[in-house]
Amino acid sequence: MAEAYITESMLDMFLYESGQNLEQLENLGIECDKSGELSEASVNEIFRIMHTLKGSSGIMMYNDITTCAHSLEDVFYYIRESKPKNIPVSDVVALVFDSCEFINGELDKIRDGGQPDGSSEALVKANKEFLERLKKNITDGGEKLPADTRKKAPEKFYIAPAVSSDTNHYHITIKYRSDTEMANVRAYTAAFSLKNAVADMYYIPEDIIADENTAEAILADGFHIYVSDKGSEEDVMRSINQGSGISNIEIERISAEEYLNGKQAGPGAGSGDILLPGEQEEPAAKKPAKKASKRSSKKAAEGDVILAPAEEKPVSVGEMAKKAEEQTAKPAAPASKAPMPTASKQTFISVNVSKMDEIMDLVGELVIAESVVVNNPDITGIGLELPNFQKASAQLRKIIGDLQDVVMGMRMLPLAPTFQKMNRIVFDVSIKLGKDIDLEIIGENTEVDKNIIEHISDPLMHLVRNSIDHGIETREERAKTTKSPRGKITLEARNEGGKVWIIVKDDGGGLNRDKILAKARANGLIGNRNEKELTDKEIYNFITLPGFSTKEQVTEYSGRGVGMDVVVQSIQDVGGSLEIDSTPGFGSTMTIKIPLTLAIMKGIVAKIGSASYVMPTGEINEFVTIEKKDLLVEPEGRESIIIRGECYPVIRLKEFYHLKEGYDDVELGTFIVVEYEGIKAAVFVDDLVSEQEIVVKPIPPYIKKIKGISGCTQLGDGSISLILDVGSILKGLE
Amino acid sequence: MVEENNIWTEDEDTQRDKYMTFTACGENYGISISCVNEIVGLSKIAEVPETASYVRGLINLRGKIIPVIDVRMRFGKEPLEYNDRTCVIVITVNKTVVGLIVDKIAEVCTVEQDQIVPPPTVVNNSGQTRFIYGIVRSEDEVTMLIDPARLISDEDQEALRNLA
Amino acid sequence: MKTLIAEDDFASRKFMLRFLSKFGECDITVDGLEAVDAFLMALESGEGYDLVCLDIMMPAMDGYQALKAIRDIEKEKNIPEEKRAKVIMTTALNEGRNVSKAFELGCVAYAGKPIDQEKFENVLRKIELIP
Repeated sequence: MAEAYITESMLDMFLYESGQNLEQLENLGIECDKSGELSEASVNEIFRIMHTLKGSSGIMMYNDITTCAHSLEDVFYYIRESKPKNIPVSDVVALVFDSCEFINGELDKIRDGGQPDGSSEALVKANKEFLERLKKNITDGGEKLPADTRKKAPEKFYIAPAVSSDTNHYHITIKYRSDTEMANVRAYTAAFSLKNAVADMYYIPEDIIADENTAEAILADGFHIYVSDKGSEEDVMRSINQGSGISNIEIERISAEEYLNGKQAGPGAGSGDILLPGEQEEPAAKKPAKKASKRSSKKAAEGDVILAPAEEKPVSVGEMAKKAEEQTAKPAAPASKAPMPTASKQTFISVNVSKMDEIMDLVGELVIAESVVVNNPDITGIGLELPNFQKASAQLRKIIGDLQDVVMGMRMLPLAPTFQKMNRIVFDVSIKLGKDIDLEIIGENTEVDKNIIEHISDPLMHLVRNSIDHGIETREERAKTTKSPRGKITLEARNEGGKVWIIVKDDGGGLNRDKILAKARANGLIGNRNEKELTDKEIYNFITLPGFSTKEQVTEYSGRGVGMDVVVQSIQDVGGSLEIDSTPGFGSTMTIKIPLTLAIMKGIVAKIGSASYVMPTGEINEFVTIEKKDLLVEPEGRESIIIRGECYPVIRLKEFYHLKEGYDDVELGTFIVVEYEGIKAAVFVDDLVSEQEIVVKPIPPYIKKIKGISGCTQLGDGSISLILDVGSILKGLE
Repeated sequence: MVEENNIWTEDEDTQRDKYMTFTACGENYGISISCVNEIVGLSKIAEVPETASYVRGLINLRGKIIPVIDVRMRFGKEPLEYNDRTCVIVITVNKTVVGLIVDKIAEVCTVEQDQIVPPPTVVNNSGQTRFIYGIVRSEDEVTMLIDPARLISDEDQEALRNLA
Repeated sequence: MKTLIAEDDFASRKFMLRFLSKFGECDITVDGLEAVDAFLMALESGEGYDLVCLDIMMPAMDGYQALKAIRDIEKEKNIPEEKRAKVIMTTALNEGRNVSKAFELGCVAYAGKPIDQEKFENVLRKIELIP
């Protein structure tokens, strides 16, 4: 696994590392802004980060990033060395953020395959001017700046391959008449003529000159040349020595990725690097692994999970810059001296998320396979006593259970980075809206499945923005109350009954019940319900409906209520829910409740006709069978049953999904009483099958979203069952 | 494990003119072999409610769950009882993996580009014309070449929805 | 600027020769071993190379070994740091590991193939081999 990390391309490594550094930088900036002072530690840290960025971007030859980082490094170098008093902290933080933004923007361009063409000139100027101002302020009596003891930037450069956006890639297919003799030689002539005309190329089959047998392959499948060049199709075609025997020649444009992929897959990559027998072993052994690792590194971009611990220590671009510097600084270090202690032993390794998903899938399969073995009719059918088998299988189950826990644990990540991002949002938005706001973070170490974190970040950001924009009052409004002039937003996470609650709380004016009601009435959202019967919660929930907004003035930051419905949708997509509560004058509380994990859960398998459906055990209260007299039918056809004096609406899945098979007679089947957030109902099914650990898999995207179905799973016997999303079915009842 | 599904798609160019032919409702059809992953027998289908009738449901392909569609019904014909000759052709089109239920697999044959004639533009008797992009005549047989992308797209569904 | 190019592939060699001849005299070798020989010969004749371009995957002796040998020779001959030849690796291997290995061995730049001529010239300018 460490192998995959190291084989990341130079560029991927640079991007990953710089991204990490910038994130840290941003957090430092926020910290300084909050505390209103530049602590020695943060100055050192910012200096270090800028120094690293300068070095690594220098190696990569991204000049503007280098100059930007350099100018900011100068500022912090000065602050660190001469310790001036009365530094305007907010100005410094603004400089840090501006540089951060610029570099982030450039990195994005690189990520998208473009060139970092932004100019850092203005930033460098701003940084320089600021530095001058700082120096002026302390000339009288202040400490003098000691001589610059910094080491010169390392002279190391990485020249990325010339696969830029203005390079075209072509795939040329040459077909020869079937009676052509020595097609390999003819093909070689054609390839040869191109080789000198284009920037880069390779061809398949490879060793056409040495291996006469390739002639047959060329006749059968054609000869394929892949070309990378700035020229047009015509230019390339003109360069080919057409020769005789050619029956057909075609050229098509391909993407850079396809070009490089083919190159990796081809037996001897690259025009220059042809492997010869007798070469040293290392590169030869690496060859077969190359294709696989390349592919995985491509996907890695989406984000890696960090695992502990491992010995392998990948060398990073930043460290490279550091090392290079050490070398230049101490050119004549005697060989006998112990090697420089390297920074710190790596206890984390990065693992591609897709690999984690794969492990998770495999564990899921293992759980199913175990139940297939243990419940195999060959063993269970005959009524045999199998004490040894039982013992062994109990042990197996325990180990599989442990394995499952460990794998799930590995996927769990703390919410801290997601919460940290909110710092920046509060900072930005509050400045632009002219509000003073503090952000308090509680329980940031609460862990959630990695997949869920990804889905929760955007909705959370939106809720926070909403709170700043709509929740917290303006300075003037706030001054009229007894509240502190600074607004406060609390972001809290905690575990609660198998779920994670994420709470966004503000101390603003709260939601305006009457306004929401009026708006809901105007938009026809209330329907035929009696307004007096609506609870506060129900009224607040109106704001999550599409197109709803009470804010007269639309601002840049939270828009016209777009989003609240989207926010709720994305929370529901990961099986979560949003609860809104508010006290007029004292603020609102938004509570997101999400499951700890999505992948494996306990479920009850039920049958309707020949099809089977699964419901999560956690949402099931009980099973009941009833007599006909217990079934109440209202005049308009709505059915309900009464259990111990309580009335439950009936959902017949057969009718719900218009199934052909299944019982109609309520006395034949079973009712499953389900409950979701206080809503209860009785689901009618033919029969119960079993309770199982189920591995949730998504419904293939080809099949469009079906109401009330959240996924599918494979049962112990290999058949497939659909998983019912009890929450959305019950919500549909309302 | 992952590799085995790719044996067909590995080198598309060598398979460019190769087609897998099969029969459905008495007609011969061909589908470019470059999109075919494998052929499997029909296993138990889990029905999925609220989908188009030709989407028969989901099958379990060695732990992978894929949707299957009935080609016959996709062409607007009546379904036929499945028997032991019924096969599922697993194809990948635009990264979507779908199983096609067909009456019978015929063979893999090579068709030169110049043998393919465009289908008649006049829409006649059946709803299948829009899936066909070419016709190959050989001796006394006619094979219709299916465009798999059109087969699995549901633009017609959307068109219907827009009407409603 | 006097340049030594070590490259086993003819087309790449031709490209490098055409590209670098603009800046001065260029010598060519086809594997690492020959490159080290040529380097030594040039030193002994009193006219060492300013720039050495090494392919990594070459027969007989690969680019890393050649680079190491060149640095060892310079050390042995007590050539001061600033007088040593600048070495640029030119290769299709672009994984971070290869790059870091080359930097550790003491090359000044690492150029992925296909060579980006503009950037290459930039580097030559930065290391002050060309004006």
